[in-house]
Amino acid sequence: MRDRVLTTLVSALFLYILIGLFYTQIIRYPHYSRLSKNNSIRVIPIDGPRGNIFDRNGKVLVTNRLSFDVVIVYRELYKRSGIIRLLKDVLGMSGGDIAEALEKASLRPNSPYTVKGDVPKEKAIAFEEESCGLSGVSVQTRSKRSYLYNNSGSHLFGYLSEVSEEELEDLKDLGYRQRDLIGRSGLEKQYNDYLKGVDGGTQVEVDSRGRQVKSLGLQEPESGKDLYLTIDVRLQAVCDKLLGSRNGAVVVINPKNGEVLALASHPAFDPNIFVKTGTSSERFRLLKDRIGRPMSNRAISGLYAPGSVFKIVTASAALDTGKINHNTSFVCTGSYKLGRGKLDCWKAEGHGPQNIQNGLMNSCNVFFCNIGRLAGVDALESYAKLYGYGKKTGIDLPDEVDGLAPGRAWKMSRNKGSWYEGETLNYAIGQGYLMVTPIQVARMTAVIANKGSLVKPFVVKQIDKVHISAEKEKNIGLKDRTIEEIRRGLFEVINNEFGTGKRAKAEGVAAAGKTGTAQNPQGRTHAWFTGFAPYDDAKLCLVVFLEHGGKGGVEPASIARGIFEEAKRIGYL
Amino acid sequence: MMQASKRLKDFDIMLIGIALLIFAIGIVTIYSATMARGLALGESFVFRQVNWFIIGIIFLALTVMVSYQRFIDISYIIYTVNVLMLVLVLLLGHARLGAQRWFSIGGFAFQPSEFIKFSLILALSNYVGGKKDSMRDLRDLIVPCILIGIPFVLVLMQPDLGTALLLIPIFFSILIVGGADLKYLGWMIMIGLAGLPFFWHFLRDYQKQRLLVFLNPSVDPLGAGYTIIQSKIAVGSGGLWGKGWLCGTQNQLNFLPERHTDFIFSVIGEEWGLLGALAIVFLYFLIVRRAFTITTLTSDLYGQCIATGIGMLIAFQVIINISMTIGLMPVVGIPLPLVSYGGSSLIATLVAIGLLVNVEMRRSTF
Repeated sequence: MRDRVLTTLVSALFLYILIGLFYTQIIRYPHYSRLSKNNSIRVIPIDGPRGNIFDRNGKVLVTNRLSFDVVIVYRELYKRSGIIRLLKDVLGMSGGDIAEALEKASLRPNSPYTVKGDVPKEKAIAFEEESCGLSGVSVQTRSKRSYLYNNSGSHLFGYLSEVSEEELEDLKDLGYRQRDLIGRSGLEKQYNDYLKGVDGGTQVEVDSRGRQVKSLGLQEPESGKDLYLTIDVRLQAVCDKLLGSRNGAVVVINPKNGEVLALASHPAFDPNIFVKTGTSSERFRLLKDRIGRPMSNRAISGLYAPGSVFKIVTASAALDTGKINHNTSFVCTGSYKLGRGKLDCWKAEGHGPQNIQNGLMNSCNVFFCNIGRLAGVDALESYAKLYGYGKKTGIDLPDEVDGLAPGRAWKMSRNKGSWYEGETLNYAIGQGYLMVTPIQVARMTAVIANKGSLVKPFVVKQIDKVHISAEKEKNIGLKDRTIEEIRRGLFEVINNEFGTGKRAKAEGVAAAGKTGTAQNPQGRTHAWFTGFAPYDDAKLCLVVFLEHGGKGGVEPASIARGIFEEAKRIGYL
Repeated sequence: MMQASKRLKDFDIMLIGIALLIFAIGIVTIYSATMARGLALGESFVFRQVNWFIIGIIFLALTVMVSYQRFIDISYIIYTVNVLMLVLVLLLGHARLGAQRWFSIGGFAFQPSEFIKFSLILALSNYVGGKKDSMRDLRDLIVPCILIGIPFVLVLMQPDLGTALLLIPIFFSILIVGGADLKYLGWMIMIGLAGLPFFWHFLRDYQKQRLLVFLNPSVDPLGAGYTIIQSKIAVGSGGLWGKGWLCGTQNQLNFLPERHTDFIFSVIGEEWGLLGALAIVFLYFLIVRRAFTITTLTSDLYGQCIATGIGMLIAFQVIINISMTIGLMPVVGIPLPLVSYGGSSLIATLVAIGLLVNVEMRRSTF
């Protein structure tokens, strides 16, 4: 009896499918046969537009515009000659292009194929009128990404490109379709999942000539979420303008909470190029330029020797560990001798007696060699790390790099042998193995500006309606006295008539800062300037970096002045 | 000597023959389903499936050679290893189609959830067979519940709803054969049904979506609903006679997603019509019938349990798969045994058939 239970159950279920098959294939045959003969179910996708990007004051930076694409569905083409003539006359396509497009369209005969994308509006309307009565060809509107400031802020926004066939295999389940765009760098990449809209579409039944008979279902598209940035587009514009054709980077942050007010990297690029059609040669040039590297965000991905801006760390290490105080002084004779070698100060005749104040003001190498040796490599390493060197700042942009704050253990682990005293001298003046990114330098300066706290820089402060609070800044435990001595030194750099950074002085702005001129194996020195203002209650902190830009006190300091002036004009200072 | 010739006599040529026939239909259909993607690729799908088949046949032969009692003896070990592999797959499997079901052994993508079905059959048979028809007590159901519970949850987490569901008929059928009290089993089913809303929360979004789509295909006209609609059109438009091999328009014009794997029956229905569909359903029915006949011919309870479990496994795979292609059931992602493209499923089914033959050869007759 027991095995009968199972046999009966299974037989009944088999009978159930038999009935189902009979119903589907015999009774409903006319219905399904008609649907299938016409190949009559068509899916018409509707794009879910990407979210917009706004600056801190609600100015639109990145948005979408309508673009008109002429598409054909190969199987529905009837009067081919008429369509070819139309493509030639109205859109000005060559016979070869048309033949190639038809060839490609025939590979996926049932899906719409874009013959010509991004047609000007007037032509699109003309084409739509002319093509009336021809089946298989139509004008589709798509929303297209539009970067309103072209080259300005390009490394913040990043760029989009279509998903490749291989990527599609993995992304299909996430709702990606052919020709969908995906963020490749910058915010477009970092926040891709938020920015991306959800595509909708309608499923329609069409007749044998491709005309829609009835709609079988509609799925509304959803637009992506909007991003609100900490960026002020006015400051961003001035940074990009002042950098001009030079290679380098500028970062402006709020030293109190890490909000990034501007971030520029040059050479820049126009992200619009990656969404326009017919710009493949320009794209290729941008992506393959190994010398100018326009796609690389130098502010967070470029690694450079910091040169003298690192003296802030050396001073902190020596003062904070009590190896020197504000009275400690050393005589600069123009060079520092160690064993048989010597390290030159940048001023050949020497600075004479130097304490911490004039050491910073003059950026005297001999003074810093002395105090660097007193502090020792271990203290330099641990203070460098305290200031955030050797580790990503954690800014919400992709492709940030760590940099390197070397030390004895690092050197041993790389099989480079034990640490030499001469390397400590290099360390003290920001040369040698040390590698930093511009944003790390800005963050270091922010510690001095806000009197002791390391902030985490960030760019997005709000996603749609959700506010993203700044991460709590972390006090790194420097002595008040240490910070005060360095602050005073940095003030002199700009405000003393002999200060190395006096070109950064802007009318009515009490700023402090430090210049840097970093030797590097690639050629001309890198030029740095980093500073903050106002001196007493800093609201703005910046770094200007010029690749092979000569002396830090010259161009970078002038650019900084320009930024301070603009910041004052628009009310930040 | 006597022993060996009797075994040979009982070697079920018919059963193997039917399986080969179904596989042959599968190959022909896979060829048709994949050739629209470009000929070279079409051939390579067929070629790879034949390769899997050869490996499967070797496994089948190995399964037949060793007495099923040996499998029973090590069933808990097989079961434990298989469960560990399921855990492993969750930890480091490739995510494919939104699910982690696979991992690679020496370059082969391998799907442990395909094998848990008869690891469970063997383990349950071992337990129930050892009880020798004294399964009346409620306490006797504790171990079987644990045995199914662990892999059920693990497979569900992958998430592979289809395979998880398949474990249920295996479980009940073996308990029924083993003599468990039908009253308790009835209760279990009731509790399970009552727990459904709770179970809903464990489903991934796309699984919920598929279930909702089953109730109303127009809620998702672009995704799962599209598949169901297109599949129904394919089968329905096949009519009585079908459109002929390589002539199915739904198939050849790329309207059917997943048509060489889970939805391969749509291609059969479209190209061979009701007659072809009935023929293949009949062949499956013969295999299932054979499994139940073997159960009645066998006096050994272990063997009865194995044969029943395998019969139910094949029956439910076929029923669920075909039902989903014609919209009688939600899409749960179960391959059609021996026909759908895919190595793990093919080998697992061949091993299952090997086990059936094994039981039939070595059954202790009255």
